[in-house]
Amino acid sequence: MNSLFPVNHKTIFVLDHTPYFGISSEYPIDFDVSKGRGTGQVPLPPICKSLWTCSVEAAVEYCRIVWDLFPESKLVKFVVSDSVAHILNTWAALQQNLTHVLNGLCLVGPVRRGAGGDVVGLCAAIEALGEASPEQISRTSTDRHFQNRGRIICITSARDDDSIRSLAEIALNTLIQQNKKASIVQPNSSRDSPNATPQLLVTHYCHLIIINVTPEKAETRVNNQQLTEMGGGLMGVEVIVSRASALASLLGRLVLPHYKLSTTTVTGIPMKEEQNASSSANYDVEIVHSIDAHAGLRASQTAAEAAESVVLRWWTPRGAEGGAGGCTGPLWRVTPADVASRPSACLVNFLLNGRSVTLEVPRKGGGRSASHVLAAQGGELWIGALGGRTTYDDPPALSEGAGGRVTDYRIKEFGALMQQNKLHPLRGAGSNARARSRLQRHTTYWPLTISSTLIFNLGSVMEPLTRLVVQESLTDEEVDQCRSVLLSLLSMESRHEFPAAQLPSNLRGKSSGRREEQWRQVWGELEALLRAYSNSSAHRTLLRVLLECRAHNNHGADGESRATVIRATTDSPLSPVGAGNGSASSASGDVWAPRNVLDALLGAPRPARRLDFAGRMAAGNRVAILYPQLQQDVETQH
Amino acid sequence: MPTIILLDVSLSMSRPVISSDSIENHTRSSIAVAAINSFLDYLSVHAKLEYVALVSFSSVHDVAVPFTRDFDSIRTKLPQIEEGDKTCIDSALLGVNQLVMNEWGHQTPIQIILITDGSSGVGAIGRNRIIQSLPLPTLYPVKIHILPIVSPHDPCLQHAMPLYQKIIDQATVTANNSNGTISRGSIYCPEQLSVSSVIAAMTRLCEQHYQEFWCSLKCGQLEARVQLFPAPQTVSHESLTATYTLSNQLHIIGFVQQQDLGTPIAISKHLVIPQAQINNNTSGRENYGSKTPTKDGSTTENITTEEEMSDPSKIPNFCVLLHGALKVEGMSAIILLGTEWWGTLSAWCEASRARRSCLLLSVLKPGVSAAPWLGPLDQLGPPEEGSAPTEVFPVRAWRSYSGGGGSGSTWARPHALLADVQKVLRHARKLPDKTQHLYKELNRLRRSAISLGFSELLTCVSTALERECSALPSNAPPECALQLAHAIAALRDPRTAFDIKHTLQPIAANITLTSMSH
Repeated sequence: MNSLFPVNHKTIFVLDHTPYFGISSEYPIDFDVSKGRGTGQVPLPPICKSLWTCSVEAAVEYCRIVWDLFPESKLVKFVVSDSVAHILNTWAALQQNLTHVLNGLCLVGPVRRGAGGDVVGLCAAIEALGEASPEQISRTSTDRHFQNRGRIICITSARDDDSIRSLAEIALNTLIQQNKKASIVQPNSSRDSPNATPQLLVTHYCHLIIINVTPEKAETRVNNQQLTEMGGGLMGVEVIVSRASALASLLGRLVLPHYKLSTTTVTGIPMKEEQNASSSANYDVEIVHSIDAHAGLRASQTAAEAAESVVLRWWTPRGAEGGAGGCTGPLWRVTPADVASRPSACLVNFLLNGRSVTLEVPRKGGGRSASHVLAAQGGELWIGALGGRTTYDDPPALSEGAGGRVTDYRIKEFGALMQQNKLHPLRGAGSNARARSRLQRHTTYWPLTISSTLIFNLGSVMEPLTRLVVQESLTDEEVDQCRSVLLSLLSMESRHEFPAAQLPSNLRGKSSGRREEQWRQVWGELEALLRAYSNSSAHRTLLRVLLECRAHNNHGADGESRATVIRATTDSPLSPVGAGNGSASSASGDVWAPRNVLDALLGAPRPARRLDFAGRMAAGNRVAILYPQLQQDVETQH
Repeated sequence: MPTIILLDVSLSMSRPVISSDSIENHTRSSIAVAAINSFLDYLSVHAKLEYVALVSFSSVHDVAVPFTRDFDSIRTKLPQIEEGDKTCIDSALLGVNQLVMNEWGHQTPIQIILITDGSSGVGAIGRNRIIQSLPLPTLYPVKIHILPIVSPHDPCLQHAMPLYQKIIDQATVTANNSNGTISRGSIYCPEQLSVSSVIAAMTRLCEQHYQEFWCSLKCGQLEARVQLFPAPQTVSHESLTATYTLSNQLHIIGFVQQQDLGTPIAISKHLVIPQAQINNNTSGRENYGSKTPTKDGSTTENITTEEEMSDPSKIPNFCVLLHGALKVEGMSAIILLGTEWWGTLSAWCEASRARRSCLLLSVLKPGVSAAPWLGPLDQLGPPEEGSAPTEVFPVRAWRSYSGGGGSGSTWARPHALLADVQKVLRHARKLPDKTQHLYKELNRLRRSAISLGFSELLTCVSTALERECSALPSNAPPECALQLAHAIAALRDPRTAFDIKHTLQPIAANITLTSMSH
């Protein structure tokens, strides 16, 4: 569990905001670069940043790299210390970004006169270490035995080694006191209301880095101090002395080991100059990323080389690049070391516009070997390592495996199903489960091959029934639409059409067999389809309609007398008994759909010149019973 | 995982094996050859796609057969291997490292089966020297198994055991890669020094480490039995709180366009090979049509279906359909692998073999953020029926380099500060056209300066603007001087300049101009 929350999970910057930090860094930045604008001008005086400005911008730059590379789970907190401790942000994800911190800094404002010191901020920082981060809160209920560790980077200025030592001792004492409090309070607070107050955790280790800042020429009696353990391993203290002007590069260096990062210098990037667009000059851009991205290069590196930025050469892309797709392994986020420089901006824009860059190890002897790929995805930059063959190359052909020689898969239809089951970024829980249940519904009745189904090959004839039936529920209107599909099928059958006549010509040959047989298959399949979806009442209504249709189909001769009567009025006397089905009682209007001449001749209602006795028609070969309705009516009345 | 058989061919391997009942005369080498053959036999049944290399070693090492799937080439090579002098495990491992790095790089996990005769070939001091100089841990993830062809009671083995244990432990000590650590190998000691018990030890090894992985791929109610190759490993990593083992059911939850998917952070990739359905009770689902056979057609139809049943390649398989559709639509399937764990399934083909395409499963980094541009993976779902989704791919992230105006965070390097000031001055020289731009840049500059407590900068910029004002050509429109004076005054007024809520506005130019024209 040691690895659950590493030291870099929580970092706190303590910035000294005392009047001393208002003094100049004495590192002049020359402003007057307006070359060639006449000599008569009064030169602008160079300006110097204050110690405060230097420490703020260095700390902010450190954060920029951390938050660019680890948008989650690496937290940084700011404490500004003067007479009181100004806490600029909490561990909450919403406050873990540069905008929030910079806004807070605006409110703190420049250094003012007054008392105060770094101690109050340092104590507040140690308290903050004891506060559980959102991730830790989510953990505490499941296992409380993780190590709560963190790092405090305190940017201050002290008189001498002794005052630094006493500062560290104060920090240690505060930590010990707080741990005592946490070990007592913790059981109560978590039992009562874990959400009301920030949960106090015992801090198991604190890495305290004290950076002693001085102006350019000032002497200091503070010395560098290697990491030393205090309080029996509870705290590790490191002291670094730095000129204000070098603070930014110092923190830029420190962030690398703190987060296991490494840098790569992309060399030889061709860029067009504004002045002469015809030629291009080569530039270098340094990027920062996880040290793991260099794992493959380590074999050929010496220890000294490993500490330096790895130089990789830009491999000018030729045509369409594969993006990060060529990487077999993981990807890591990347951020430029100097985000404001022009070459960095060029490289970033090139990538953000959707191109990718292959990087190669520069070799003296010639021969090229691509080592990494840089690409942007979702507005972020990524690096991935290339190289090595894959273990799954030369795969066995699908056509030789199971199902490989079947040639009539319903690929187009499955493509449509995939389009209907496309995923989208949503908000809220349960999205995955909804997607799965939707797929479950869409695949309830889904023949894999064309030859194993007839109804799905009938195309427009079956529309919109096959499309609507997969829905969770049907409206009355949709049920009517589906019903009319069934009824038109019924009328097709009554007209002795082959269902296969609707198939594309290349399929027609395959579904041989007699017409009755084909119709039986169509109805059988339809029943299977509707039974598979008979979970809502509307679906069941549809199923009942189908069963009625089937009943006519299978037992036309002894069907209901009413249907027979209708048939008697509509069918030609030439038609064989039981072949025509007329239509179901509910939607007889559908039979009068447009027809061709032959259909019209065969199916048109004829004047009943000599209407046959309805009872005889119904009875078929048996003896006809007179007035059967009369008998039924008598029965129903009782 | 590609496997290297690391075969000891030192002189001591050719010692004869004394056995009471055997008719044949065996040496340790011949037993080793028998064990390797049984290993290859196992692979040709269970892991045909595995790559195997044969490296023989004594004081020098030799790649007898480079990585191949043609196991017969190893079988034919085995009798031809010449014997060497003494056992030097450290230099052999060094050679193996080179072979692996050249062929597979640092990201592919490798298994090494070290077959030796149970004597380290040196005394206690020499053994410590070997332990010191072992080229472990390797840069690539590796699992080392040791098969000593020795009687378990041999005193030599007792001496060699600490070395073997060290090799196995060190191999997995720090798998530096982010693919996570892989489980460690073991020592497979035969129960006695005979062909049968060495083969039994080898069989144990095979069964533990070369098991094929079967699972079922489910898409709603459609299902297919598939084999994953290479077999997925249990994932554990320092940044993960739990270990992740692939379950035997892969659930498709939906589909995304290939270009939306991009390249998520994958930890391993596996071929998905469809297998014949073994249980016929589900096969009825694929044969709706044949449910209604007719009297006259039934006999012939039954014959053909029986014929088809015997040939699995003629039974429709969901995998093949899925592959075809993924390819045609240019889509990928998103697969739920376990709790908080996802994978993707795509049609994939090697660039060199464009026609031979297959299904490839990418096992993603556990957790919801394996592809941040898709949003949290647990929130992927179907849009509400009939309504358009509110968000679309890619879900964009904003980073410091995303553009859209720098934040004062970048002034740590002087050139960035200079560039920002120059921008203000450039606009100041192009008044009155760039009035809006001038004030926009000034406010940006002010904002950064306020957050950094950099009041010196604003004083300096106002001085620079003053100089621009004095350098205005005589024919410049009067508005230029007006705007500049206004800006300078605003920058110098502590009430307006350092109030973050205050925004500098251009002086209302029209009114001034009309009043001047009168």
